[in-house]
Amino acid sequence: MIKVITMDFLKVNWLKSGLVLAIVPFLWGCEDVIDLETQTGPPLLVVDGWIYNQPGPQEIRLSKTGAYFDNAPATPALNARVWVQDNRGAIYEFKDVSSNGRYVWEVADSTMGAIGRQYTLHIEHEGEKYTAQNEIKRVPRVDSLIFTHESWPTKPEKGPKDGFIAEFYARDLEGAGDTYWIKPLRDGKPYKSNPVNISIAYDAAGSKESATDGLIFILPIRQSLTIGELFNDKDSVGVELLSINESAFRFLEQVRTEASNGGLFAVPFANIPGNIKSESGTKALGFFGASAVSRLEGRVDANTARPRR
Amino acid sequence: MQMKYFLLLIFSIGFLDVAAQDRRTVSGYVRDGGNGEGLIGVSVFVRETSSGVTTNPYGFYSITLPEGSYTLVFSYVGYDNQEKSITLNQDLKQDLELAQTSKELAEVLVSARREDENVKSIEMSVNKVEMKTIRKMPALLGEVDLIKSIQLLPGVSTVGEGSSGFNVRGGDISQNLVLLDEAPVYNSSHLFGFFSIFNPDAVKDVKLIKGGIAAQYGGRISSILDVRMKEGNNKKREVSGGIGTIFSRLTYEQPFAKGKGSFIVAGRRSYLDVLAKPFLNKDLRDSKFYYYDLTTKVNYRLGDKDTFFASGYFGRDVFGGGGFGFEWGNATATARWNHVFSNRLFMNLTGYYSNYDYSLRVGEETEADAFRWNSRIISSSFKPDFTFYLSPGNQITFGGQYINYNAKPANAVAISENERIDLSQQPKHADESALYIGSEQKLGERLALQYGIRYSLFRSLGPGTYYDFVDVEPGTRKDPVLPGKEYAKGSVVKQYGNWEPRASVNIGVSDRSSLKVSYNRTAQYLHLLSNTAASTPLDVWTLSSNNIKPQVADQVALGWFQNLAGNAYEFSVEVYYKKLFNQIDYVPSSSLLLNQFVEGDLLFGKGRAYGAEFYAKKNNGKLTGWVSYTLARTERKVNTISNNQWFPTRFDKPHNLNVVAIYEPGGRLSFSGNFVLTSGTPATFPTARFEFNGWPLPYNHGNLRNNNRIGTYHRLDLSATLKAKKKLFGKGEQEVVFSVYNVYNRRNPFSVFGRINEENVMKTEAVRYAVMGSIIPAVTYNFEF
Repeated sequence: MIKVITMDFLKVNWLKSGLVLAIVPFLWGCEDVIDLETQTGPPLLVVDGWIYNQPGPQEIRLSKTGAYFDNAPATPALNARVWVQDNRGAIYEFKDVSSNGRYVWEVADSTMGAIGRQYTLHIEHEGEKYTAQNEIKRVPRVDSLIFTHESWPTKPEKGPKDGFIAEFYARDLEGAGDTYWIKPLRDGKPYKSNPVNISIAYDAAGSKESATDGLIFILPIRQSLTIGELFNDKDSVGVELLSINESAFRFLEQVRTEASNGGLFAVPFANIPGNIKSESGTKALGFFGASAVSRLEGRVDANTARPRR
Repeated sequence: MQMKYFLLLIFSIGFLDVAAQDRRTVSGYVRDGGNGEGLIGVSVFVRETSSGVTTNPYGFYSITLPEGSYTLVFSYVGYDNQEKSITLNQDLKQDLELAQTSKELAEVLVSARREDENVKSIEMSVNKVEMKTIRKMPALLGEVDLIKSIQLLPGVSTVGEGSSGFNVRGGDISQNLVLLDEAPVYNSSHLFGFFSIFNPDAVKDVKLIKGGIAAQYGGRISSILDVRMKEGNNKKREVSGGIGTIFSRLTYEQPFAKGKGSFIVAGRRSYLDVLAKPFLNKDLRDSKFYYYDLTTKVNYRLGDKDTFFASGYFGRDVFGGGGFGFEWGNATATARWNHVFSNRLFMNLTGYYSNYDYSLRVGEETEADAFRWNSRIISSSFKPDFTFYLSPGNQITFGGQYINYNAKPANAVAISENERIDLSQQPKHADESALYIGSEQKLGERLALQYGIRYSLFRSLGPGTYYDFVDVEPGTRKDPVLPGKEYAKGSVVKQYGNWEPRASVNIGVSDRSSLKVSYNRTAQYLHLLSNTAASTPLDVWTLSSNNIKPQVADQVALGWFQNLAGNAYEFSVEVYYKKLFNQIDYVPSSSLLLNQFVEGDLLFGKGRAYGAEFYAKKNNGKLTGWVSYTLARTERKVNTISNNQWFPTRFDKPHNLNVVAIYEPGGRLSFSGNFVLTSGTPATFPTARFEFNGWPLPYNHGNLRNNNRIGTYHRLDLSATLKAKKKLFGKGEQEVVFSVYNVYNRRNPFSVFGRINEENVMKTEAVRYAVMGSIIPAVTYNFEF
């Protein structure tokens, strides 16, 4: 899998380089959507849970697997007992108040997650006991959002030809092995949330192999707020920087790979490794994550934006 | 110790002689009368004794017989037979030039070799395609392509159009030793695999050895693709070239020193960038996108006993613009010395240097943010090969090879906000030595044997830090044990030795049919780490080490060979079974580039491949060509992958049918066609989806790899060649080739996969990806004078 920072750099410079002109006539290939019959196995429990060090309700969603090409919404997993216990022994009960598989913990004016604590998720469902563990790790603050004038050589399919690249500046914390999930925001909401766009960092770069401890996030990570199209003047752009643990990093890495794994340079399909364990070996999918969050929002301003590189 | 005895054995051969004073030797070179090129595989037949030999790759032959008078018959397909009467009362030197059969006849002959070679030769599992034939076959965008042509042979498959390399009898692309004038070529593709790096105008002979590999070859476990360059016309100056859709080509050949020497220089360059430049706006005007190669060779004959050759290849793909650069290429240099010691002992001494490198660059190192990465592998080698002509029925070959490897997987730096990050990996050194001895022996009229043994020794050498790895969880990334072990310069980190026995038998059933059996063991110490469907130019060649054991393969093959109608038709059926050991696979989310602990991401398993190859070929007449059908499987078994069960590889193609036809009615117009029909490639499809973070994600219940198969692949290509009536400059020839690739415009899938819809994130869809989605016509102009 080609996921080194090289490739991150390539993405940034892809449109600007002649590579497109040279290769497109050959590599455009063609893709069309077809009907495909695949076998379907028995439904499994799916855990979709992530807790934060932010005030307010926390949610764990439980559902069942469905046929891959079915496109029907997932069946909720109901009547489960769900609770989270932290390493000090505190227990947080999650209730499915709306009977839709969304189990929520909510206590007015209180915050569940705290940096440095470990959390164990417990689920009892259809006679099986499931557990998953995670921790809330430290996160650096986001120092600034920077906008830079940019123009594509030709009118792109999406977004303006002349616009702005948004990037955020933050410095990885000293000490190797910090892992992060970078979520771009637009008007305060998640922007282009598609698994192919997942931006994760190991220290200041895209992978564990590059020794980038304690550095400012490298350019491709900084610019991962800008996805496929330029921003316009006055756009509201933001970033959420989440601390994640290494197993979450690997989980998200594999999610990104499998979200669109085709073409000449596809890698062999592999199941996405979750962190849900069961007492008697019943397979469950999904992930239980935990993060501390740094957040910064800003507005594109043509007058203060940096000149084109 | 073993090595010492082996050496002793080899050197004692030189003194071996059938002590008979009344035996004399006739020897010499057989060359093409038209251009002086040595002819490979010419039959030299002694009528009186009904025995004979064939010329070696340099055109040399030697026959030792009792004193007396003999008639030697020299025959070679495509050339007029010649007979020489000799009186052998002393050792004789008999060089000979063969004339090509008159134009019209020669044009319809597919291959230049002994007519009954298919049946009589000890070789099996070997395919030779003459360049003349390759040049006539329809090609993608009209660019004659050696690699794509051999993909039409039995036992050869590919992961799909546009991918680099080829797969032989269930082996992966890195298991083929691609030799260009004896120097290994690490990446045989331009533009990611769309075109091969060999300039067809500079290639003389191509031979693919899939099995029954003789003892002189080693280093890769699946096949040898032996490509020999033209030596250059030593009779007259010759200029040839052409303008194609992608490349323009020019070749110049000239004799010197009164024909004792000659040289050839051949170059090709893509020119799309030149044509596009005026149409690019100013932002794109500094864009670079081209690929080129330069091939050159010089030879010089010093007296009767010595010939010197020097050849070189330099090719490069260059892309860039907007502060970005990406380029890669091979460079090889070979020097050879042919020496005839006595007229019965022939030596070829080869020294070569081969380099493959690539570089990627974003921004300049003076900027606040930049990235630069160079990677290369260099091998240099010294290789003496001897042939001792004991008797007409017995030839002994022996020799050795020493290869020095110098791998620099990454010399890289990333600059982030003026902070430099060194991403370099330590260089790795190793050497590989081999000694071999083999014999080719005829026992009577109907039985021929070839047997030999090769001993190879690989040493991974310091300086450097080497690590052990420990399992964290089976099937996932292993952790290095830090701080690792330091090795001083030249100290041995790890050593592997392999005995590689080889044997073939040819049992003549009749004059026109034979049964052949072969066995070979091969070992490979150099591994291409590649986890993608098609190999990329960035894939890194990695040396065996304390963590990577050599790959080893055992192969047995059995074949029936039959010629009909005076050798006009050749048939063969071969079955083979191959076992492969220490095959490399990868953990999920493996990181193979810029990773100093890459060995922790590797998994090891075994492989098996078996199949039957049916081949029918028509050699002469107006219609020539072949039909090949291969029924085969290739599988791997790697712990933790596919529930520890055997799974098919990406290039597992149970059915593979190829038809090649060339029709030359005489006159100026000729036609050719290829038809390919193969099973679809294996694929893994998700069976279920699970929702996470608002995304539908794939899951495969059985956790099986490649348990489905995508649609069948089939394609027809046609081409027509029109020769000009008018002679170029009064003597030369010119022609125009019209070719159409994928005539009936089929959208053959390269892969089928599931993905999330770009607009509606909750929607999953199955996508069929085709590399060549349409009919591709092209026109090419060729000239020669």
